This record gives sequence, structure tokens and C-alpha cells, in this order.
Amino acid sequence: MFGFPISTPRPRKDYASCSGCGLCLLVCPVWRRSRDIGLAPLGRAKALQHGAVAADIAESIQSCTLCAACEPACPEDIGLVAMTLDLRRQLIQPAAVPSLRARMDEQAARPLAPRPSSSAVLLPGQALREHPGTLARAAALLGGMSNIPIADDDGSDIALALEAGVETPAQRLQQFLQPLRGLKNVAVADGLLLRHLRQWLPGSKIASLGLALSSLAQVRRALRASDLYVIEPRAYHADYQRLVKHYDALRSDAGCTLNLDLQRIAIPASARSLAQRLEPETAADIRDDSVQARWILQGRNVERIVVENLEDSAAFERVSKLPVVHLADLADDGTS
Amino acid sequence: MHLTDVEPGTLGPCPVAPDALQGIKRQQTNPGRWNGPNWEEFAAAVRARGIELRETPAARAAFATDAGGTAYGLAHGVVIARSSEQIARLLQAAQQYRVPVTVSGGGLTTEGESVAFGGVLLDMSGMSRVLHIDADALTVRTEAGIFWHSLAEELRRQDLDYLSAPLNLTSSVGGTLGVGGIDVNSARFGCSADQAIALQVVTPTGDIAECSDTHNAELFQRVILGYGQFGVITEATLRVRRYTPLRMHYFYYASLRSAIEDLQLLDRNDASDYSGILTIMDCAVNVLVAFDSPEREAAFMAHWRPRLSAYGELGFGLRALIHYALRPWKLREAWYLLERKRELFPELRRSEYMRDGTMLDRSVVFSRAVWKFWGGRQMVIPDLATSAAKFIDAVERGNAVCRKFFPHYTLYLVGIKLRPEHRAHYEMSCIPPDAEGWAYGCEFEPMLDGGAYSRDYLQSFKNEIYDIGVDLGASYYRFGGMMKGYIRRVFGDALVDRHLALKRAADPEMILNRHVIF
Repeated sequence: MFGFPISTPRPRKDYASCSGCGLCLLVCPVWRRSRDIGLAPLGRAKALQHGAVAADIAESIQSCTLCAACEPACPEDIGLVAMTLDLRRQLIQPAAVPSLRARMDEQAARPLAPRPSSSAVLLPGQALREHPGTLARAAALLGGMSNIPIADDDGSDIALALEAGVETPAQRLQQFLQPLRGLKNVAVADGLLLRHLRQWLPGSKIASLGLALSSLAQVRRALRASDLYVIEPRAYHADYQRLVKHYDALRSDAGCTLNLDLQRIAIPASARSLAQRLEPETAADIRDDSVQARWILQGRNVERIVVENLEDSAAFERVSKLPVVHLADLADDGTS
Repeated sequence: MHLTDVEPGTLGPCPVAPDALQGIKRQQTNPGRWNGPNWEEFAAAVRARGIELRETPAARAAFATDAGGTAYGLAHGVVIARSSEQIARLLQAAQQYRVPVTVSGGGLTTEGESVAFGGVLLDMSGMSRVLHIDADALTVRTEAGIFWHSLAEELRRQDLDYLSAPLNLTSSVGGTLGVGGIDVNSARFGCSADQAIALQVVTPTGDIAECSDTHNAELFQRVILGYGQFGVITEATLRVRRYTPLRMHYFYYASLRSAIEDLQLLDRNDASDYSGILTIMDCAVNVLVAFDSPEREAAFMAHWRPRLSAYGELGFGLRALIHYALRPWKLREAWYLLERKRELFPELRRSEYMRDGTMLDRSVVFSRAVWKFWGGRQMVIPDLATSAAKFIDAVERGNAVCRKFFPHYTLYLVGIKLRPEHRAHYEMSCIPPDAEGWAYGCEFEPMLDGGAYSRDYLQSFKNEIYDIGVDLGASYYRFGGMMKGYIRRVFGDALVDRHLALKRAADPEMILNRHVIF
């Protein structure tokens, strides 16, 4: 059996430390939409401090988008994402979970993926796989002289299981991680998966796709001062102390506008609840995305939107006529 | 002994002579819980009027305490504010069924003022949209439940900023206008409440009224700095200004007295755009001075910096080195100072909040630092507000009380420019009646982190600070809630009774924020 933990890493502090400052509200997309403290981390922490159990705050737990903006905002350093995932595990699982379990079992029954030929690999995730051209350009950019290998098994099902609070079978996790062990660099598009990979693969350098691409000179050169650059929030907030400086330097170099608020927390462009992620066909509700994307654009004079995460493209396309381009497509953009 | 009959929900005249309890440990004065007669009928009536009333334990628990964390109470139900009309319907029902309504904005009170001890908790954060920004007239109209920082986020998109607001990101506009609000530019602009031009208010009987200094002036005067007694502020028109980053300087002092003298010198002469004092210890006092423009900064450096008895960071460090080298028995104190400097100073200079040597957002920098280094499940922040002449005495005496009660604490001191035309607003507020030109405020904030203090201990500390105010004829920012026992002592029966009569006329069943003041 593998020696890695299956559950989320324990936070340094938990909800009991919440002082009620409310700074999490300022950055919470669910609160922005609902103006309901009960649906924000503050409401969950206060309810739990005063005797509530997970079932009492189920709606709040399920509505969290796990953008993790609350974590760097929290002065008590409470592990708010871990807290929410722990609470999700205590709830009766949503109806879509059996199919997710079946998907993981099916994946686990497949032969072990071959070990990548290079010391680096890209885990693109579902959204990027649906855009093969963009995926190919991302792989080419990250590979330098040759393409970076794209993992056949990118752990999309595990990422969804993490989000849903569903335990990943050890066999499935072993199968996913085995080809990645010993690799020097792993670029990952899914910000929640990235957070866990850091713990599961302590010897590897795990970077978000956005960070990896935005570190490249040819990509930075293609950015314009009139661009709105949209940071993928989950990965950014998981490594906030370091990345806030990276993106500050990017803004300084390119002169572009970032989707950061005054606290330098990333404003999520899309804010999907668990139900929307598990059952996008039946639970699709675009209100969240519209609110967030409109807020990012409000009062900003930009000519192009550059996204790190393809899921954000649709959110902007719904509320704006501005061109939206993925970071990987920047270098090929003839207008640059 | 005859005790005066006291109306339920009111404190009544204090039967104890003003000086009878000096130095005697007193218990805190949490209000009794409203026991819920008529609740079921009220709840049904409210729902029939289309108002969502939440009665689940989880919904009520979210508001069980405030930032002070020493007053605990549960509402019978929670209503999230959605519109002025909804609040009007709620208050009409509350009058009809005699159900208390407690209003919470950011929930950052420390004396239980925003805690409901039964009845309804009205959460104003539900009304937090910016309604209109007039960049030419430099005004904003906003729903009053908005947090100052959320307002700043919207203003900044138009290169605007609010004039002055508490250095706390989640203070609400409505709550602040009801009590005052101080910023490090209050010595120039006055308190935050002075920035309000007009308000929409839902009166305790459920009327929706617009008011300003020229329209419904009496309502405006009572609601501004009125501690929520005369209405719920639902919308506010505020003055704003063009955004400018700050050019910040820190000066160091070994004595409170000399730091305060210099602060008042700067304020009197309009020598800086921002000024305030923050202490690490009473022997390590920091005067912060900041400017909106290089011209103002240069003028200060040329004319006023030489007159200050301050040290720069290096000079103060050398002085401290010599001081503690000659006093090795004080090494623990030196170590504390060093640790504090190591932790706190980088937080005030984080590169992502600075650009070209200027500080981009003072409230972000200071509020994050305040919560990180001073925040916790319990906070007590007694304060004194005095005239300029009494301020040094008040601070030195308050400092002595802090020393007696706690190993470590911080003092935060600022001046507040008074607006003569707002004199009527200041009645029975944090602005002391004898202040002319400027009032001065000092918050005494013990570092509770890691310590175990009983509520009685904390209350005794607050009482000793507040006794100084009674003695000096000062006022307080936080005189409501658990500290309301001091109201008659500092303001006198005549003034309090007059306000109580006004309150009874405006709120016949005494339902709105009933435990806060009276």
C-alpha cells in the first residue's frame, strides 16, 4: 500500500480559530452573488463554533466553489478549503457520485499508463482536452525544443472526486501517481488537483499550467498593456505568497490588467458549485459566471481577455464581445 | 431604598453615585434575553408580509457574537436585509408584536452592540450594492450594508476613493455612520460620519425617509452618530475623492508624551495628509505620517520634520541597542520589541501593496495587519476620546492601566477634525462636548493572544479605562452595549433623558437596538 494520505492535508488551524473578521466575505464569489453570510466561510465557521454539524449547513458546503480566495485572505491562516472538503465528506453524497465512483473503478481497471519519456509531464484536464489545438500549443510551448508529454491519465476523475468529497480508491490513486513518481516537473491545469499533487509528489516541482506558460518569455512578450489577464484562482491561491510576486512582476513587465482585487486576491471568473461541476448538463446555471465576469470587467478599459483556464472563456464570452484567448494561443496570435 | 421604575429594554437612571465604584471590580452588564412572547405570531406575520425569516440554529449561530467575542446571544430569527421596503415591513411588524430587532453590519462591535439577545437579527450585509457613482460631483450613493472595502473596490475602478473610513476592511458604511469611524486622515477630514451628505433611513416605526442637513435635518442629526437608535440606515450618499497612493513615513519615539505633542503639532498646522500613532510598547512609539503628493511630502520634510523630536528607524534602533545594553535585566522587553519588528514591519511593506515607494491601499495593508497581529476570538478595545488639551493626560493614565492588566498591548491614537456645522450631529456621541477644533481618540488594545482572561478581568480593565473618562469629562467611541453603564456618568442625566424621550417618541415599543444605549 502506498504511504501517501488519501484525505486532504490537515489544516494548521480549523474553524474554531475563526475570529469573525469577515475578510473571507470580501473575496467569496458565493457571497458576492448571494450576500448571504451563511453561504460563506464565515457563516460555516460560526455555525460550527456554535454547535452546527455538516448536515445543518449542507447548502453552504455544497455551494462553495473551492476557488480558495478565502485562504490567503484569512488572517488566522485557517485551512478553509480543507475544512470545506472535510465537511463535504461528512455529507450524504450527491446523486452523481455513484457514476463518479464507477468512472474511477473503470479507470483503475485499465493498464498502468507508460512512464513519460521526459522528466516533465502535462496534466491538461478535461477542458483543455476538449480544445486539442490549444493543448498542442501548450505542450509545444512547455516542451521547449520538443513537446512536453501529455499524460494519458490526467486524474480528471480524481480531481472531481476530491471536489465532491468522495474518497479515491487507493488502487486508482496508485495507478494515477505511479507514472508521475520521480518526474522533475509536473504542469497541471486543475488547481485543486495541483494542491494535492504537491503533497502526493513531494519530490516533484508542481506548477500550474498558467504559471508554467506565463513564465515563458515568448508568452510574456505576446501580452499587451490593453489585455485583461485572468489568473486561474485555485492554483494561484494554493501558492499565494509566492505567486502574488510572480504575477505582480508579470503586470509590471506587460503592463496588463489582472483579475486581482485590491487585496491581490484573484477574482474567479467562473464560480461553479459542486452540483454544476458534477452534473453540468442538468445543473447548469450561468448566473454565477455572469456576476463574476461582469465584476471583473466593470470599469476596466481592456481590448482582449487572456485566460489561463479555458473554463473561464465561456464566462467572458457570455457577458462581453471582447476577444478571449487562452494563454497557450497567445504566441500564435498573429495580431500580437 | 427606592429604585426608579425602568422601562423594559432600557437601563434607566444609574442609582449609584458617579464616583461610588471607583476601583471596585464590577461585573459586565449583558442585557437580559428577550423571552419571546408573541414570537410565533410575529414570525407568521413577517412571513405573510413576504419576508424570509431564518430560524435554524445554524443561521442564528452565525451571529451569536461580535468581534469582541465576550457577549454571546442568540436571535430567535435572522432576516437578511434585501430592500428598504422589506426592512420597513419588518419594523412595522416588530412594533406591532413588540419584538426587538438588532441590526448587524460588519459585526465588528466589541461590546455586544450587534448581538441579538433574542428577537430578530437584521443582517444589513445583504444590502451592499453601490447604486450610483458621480465622478464629477465626487459623490457615491450606496446601500448602507456595504463594507467600506467593497465600496473602495468599486470606487477604484473609476480611480476614486472614499474620504475616510475605519482601517478595517469589513466595517459597514451604515454601522460606521452610526458611531463615527476614524481613519489616519481624520485629523484633516473628520470622522467617517462627517462624510455623509444624505441618508435613506427606515425609522423604527417602518417609515422610509430621506434626510440630510437640509431635509429632515433632525432625523439626520439623530441618526448620524446615533448608535442605531433612531432608524436603520439603508442608503447613504457620501463624499468621495480622486484616488492617490500614499507616501508613508514612520517616525519613532521613546515616550508617548513627546509623540502626542508632535502629532498635535502636525495636526494643528495641517503638516501632513495622514497622521496617527501606533505603539508597540509605551517605550516604542510609532508616529505614522503620510502624504498624497510629493509636494506635500517635500513641504513637510522642509518645514516640519526638523521640528519633530522623532528618531528615524536606524536612530531608534541604535538608541534601543544602547538602552538595553545598559539594562540587561530588560532583555525580555528588548527581545519582544525585536520580534514584533521582525513580524510586523514586513507586513506593512509587502511589495504587492507598494509601487514606486508608495502604499497603494492603506486600509488593505493596515487592516490585514490588524487582524493578523491583533485579531482573535476575543478582543477588548476600550477607548477614550478627549479634547486636545486633555489627551496626553488621558493616554498616560490609560497606559498605566494597560500596564497593570496586560504584559503587552497597543495604543492607536488619532486626531479628529471637528466640523462646527456638524455640532448637532456630535451630541451624545464619541465627540467630547468640550472639544474645539480637534478631538483626539485613543484605543487601548491588549494583546490577548495565548493568554487566558476571564470576562470579569477584561471588564475590570475596561472599567478602569472608562473611569478615567468619567474623571476627565471625556467621551468614548464604544460606550454602547456592555459599557452603557457609563453613558449617564459621562453625558449626564439631562442629556440622556432628552435622548431617551426622543427615542421613545421615535420607537414607541423600544424595539430597535434596544440594548445598545438605553
